[in-house]
Amino acid sequence: MSVAHYFWILLGLPLVGALVCALLSAPRAMFMTLIGMAVLETAIGVFLVQGVFWGAQESVAWGWFYLDALSGYHLAILLLIYLLSTVYAAGYFRHELEAGLLRPGQIRRFGILWCGALSAMALVIISNNLGAMWIGMEATTLMTAFLICVHRTAASLEAMWKYLLMCSVGVACAFMGTLLAVAAARGLPFSGSDVMLWTQMRAAATQMNLPLLKLAFLFLLVGYGTKAGLAPLHNWLPDAHSQAPAPVSALFSGFMLNTAFYCILRYVAIIEIATGGSGWSLHLLQFFGLISIIVATAFILFQEDVKRLLAYHSVEHLGIISLGVGLGGIGVFAALFHVFNHSLCKTLAFFSAGRIGQIYGTHAMGQIRGTLKAHPVWGIGLFGSFLALIGVAPFALFMSELQIVFAAMDGRAYVALAFFLAGTGAIFMGALKHAMAMAWGEPEHPTPAPDAGIMDIILVAGSLFILLAVGLWMPEWYRSLLLRAAHIVEGKL
Amino acid sequence: MGLDTLFVFLVLTSLVLLGSSLLNSSIRVVALQGAALSVLPFLVMESSWAGRAVFLAALTMGLKGIVFPILLNRSVREANVRREMEPLVGYSLSLALGIALLILAFWLAGRLHGIGVGISTLSLASAFFMMFIGLFLIIARRKALTQVLGFLVLENGMYAFGLTVVGHIHWLVELGVLLDVFVAVFIMGIAIDHISREFDHINVDQLDQLKG
Repeated sequence: MSVAHYFWILLGLPLVGALVCALLSAPRAMFMTLIGMAVLETAIGVFLVQGVFWGAQESVAWGWFYLDALSGYHLAILLLIYLLSTVYAAGYFRHELEAGLLRPGQIRRFGILWCGALSAMALVIISNNLGAMWIGMEATTLMTAFLICVHRTAASLEAMWKYLLMCSVGVACAFMGTLLAVAAARGLPFSGSDVMLWTQMRAAATQMNLPLLKLAFLFLLVGYGTKAGLAPLHNWLPDAHSQAPAPVSALFSGFMLNTAFYCILRYVAIIEIATGGSGWSLHLLQFFGLISIIVATAFILFQEDVKRLLAYHSVEHLGIISLGVGLGGIGVFAALFHVFNHSLCKTLAFFSAGRIGQIYGTHAMGQIRGTLKAHPVWGIGLFGSFLALIGVAPFALFMSELQIVFAAMDGRAYVALAFFLAGTGAIFMGALKHAMAMAWGEPEHPTPAPDAGIMDIILVAGSLFILLAVGLWMPEWYRSLLLRAAHIVEGKL
Repeated sequence: MGLDTLFVFLVLTSLVLLGSSLLNSSIRVVALQGAALSVLPFLVMESSWAGRAVFLAALTMGLKGIVFPILLNRSVREANVRREMEPLVGYSLSLALGIALLILAFWLAGRLHGIGVGISTLSLASAFFMMFIGLFLIIARRKALTQVLGFLVLENGMYAFGLTVVGHIHWLVELGVLLDVFVAVFIMGIAIDHISREFDHINVDQLDQLKG
């Protein structure tokens, strides 16, 4: 089998999984299928990315599939988050079924769409064709819309409609940007349909029509930025994240936002080469990043719902990533490092918030007290992930944020630095207050805590351990992978 | 029928949408616009691509002219709404704004033409105008169904832009884009069904429970 076959299997396997889920009626069997599919998919993913992880420049198949350090890194994160979320979903929905909150039919619909979402996101990451990348992005919106309203309540339907419409229109805007980028390459000697290939566009970037290309980037930034949850285009995000069931929120926050941001990064590379490294696109990213941090700060301080709180943290962290890339130099490296840290940490946070929410029967933070007593495993998970999230040393998020501070000082971006420090500082205080109030104290209505399964303990301990380990010690291959990915974004490769 | 006639027709159908309050007739107008768009591949593609033009035209006609109106009409029946009552922006004001948007579209097209998009200003302007009208309908109307129509008009505008400006997109990409739009309309239709069953209305401005 050639490499192209593995790419096709990567895209096709989830679709087979969806088909199997549609035929199975027992939730247990369906979750077994889902986990099996996720494990197989991860194995294929590992096989595909190992080359670029150990130093290979790129892996191209059939012209349309493309893996380099940047996409290999993102694919690895996607598969990790997806695998964790699938394992978690099995436990989460078992409790929902036992409590009679869901019918098996709704679980089946979840299974089918859950598979579809993976295929769509994988398509975005491995596409060399910018049109196919867009198709994948729009498909993620369509696949995940009904995942938000697995529980059919008035609020979840409202969130779903907002998400569906805002992201469809946003991503449509990105399609316009894609077309404009192709139009900017008009008249260049491409062979026929190769004009949409990212590798081709990068090779010819300096000869493209620059004003058109810049206009294209504006459309792309606004379009994909909507899906990435960059303020002020984030309105759909808190609603969707808070109404979706916890595994879905985890996947949304843990990776779907990054999928959209990844698309922006691909275009940043082209713009940077075309403008000769003038940093025009980086300034825009800096601006959006700062706005996101400021907006998120305001909402985090006065938040009452724990899942909405986490959703605004996503706006904040996507803002930090955007700011990091915008600072250039070591900032790009730090931002890419932050992508993994945030994804893993936020996934754990949503896992914990979801199970805690099930135990307390609410997501209102005012009514959640004494989680460490009520359920030690998920209580620790929630508190630990909050600590990591707000940047307590020596968690990995602290390290990446520290490097962003260095990047800002290097680039003499003192205004950005001031806003960044003020925002993260305020969030540190605000979120710590929320987290401590939930962790300590006596549970108001002590409910018989369900036993912690072995999987629960592995999920919490494993995630926290990785976050600590990566913060304390970064392996050499990881550093070199991130450096190569950063060079790709900056157009230096 | 020349290219210019087609674009004038597209602009006019978009303007009609601004003044129409009956959902059924709005759906018909959008269907008509989609059907008209299916002629576009023949007008812009070189003769050597005839097979592809036929394929694309048939697909566009089938989806935009036939399948979408059927899906949307079904939603109208299920939700049991006939007209857009009290839109957020009144009809006469909408038409006036429509004229302003048309001027904006021509200005923008002129600018773009200046920086080297090698096609006529009229085709660029009408593509932009359709996108503006689509966005306007999404923002200024209350019924979820009208928002879907707005999305379709927006998409029609991009389709026209893509064909006239770029032209030579790989057929797989074109197919994928049309498939996405089809699934989008399909899913929005189902969503409207769910919303009308849960709320007994499909007024988007009353979906305002989630805040902060």
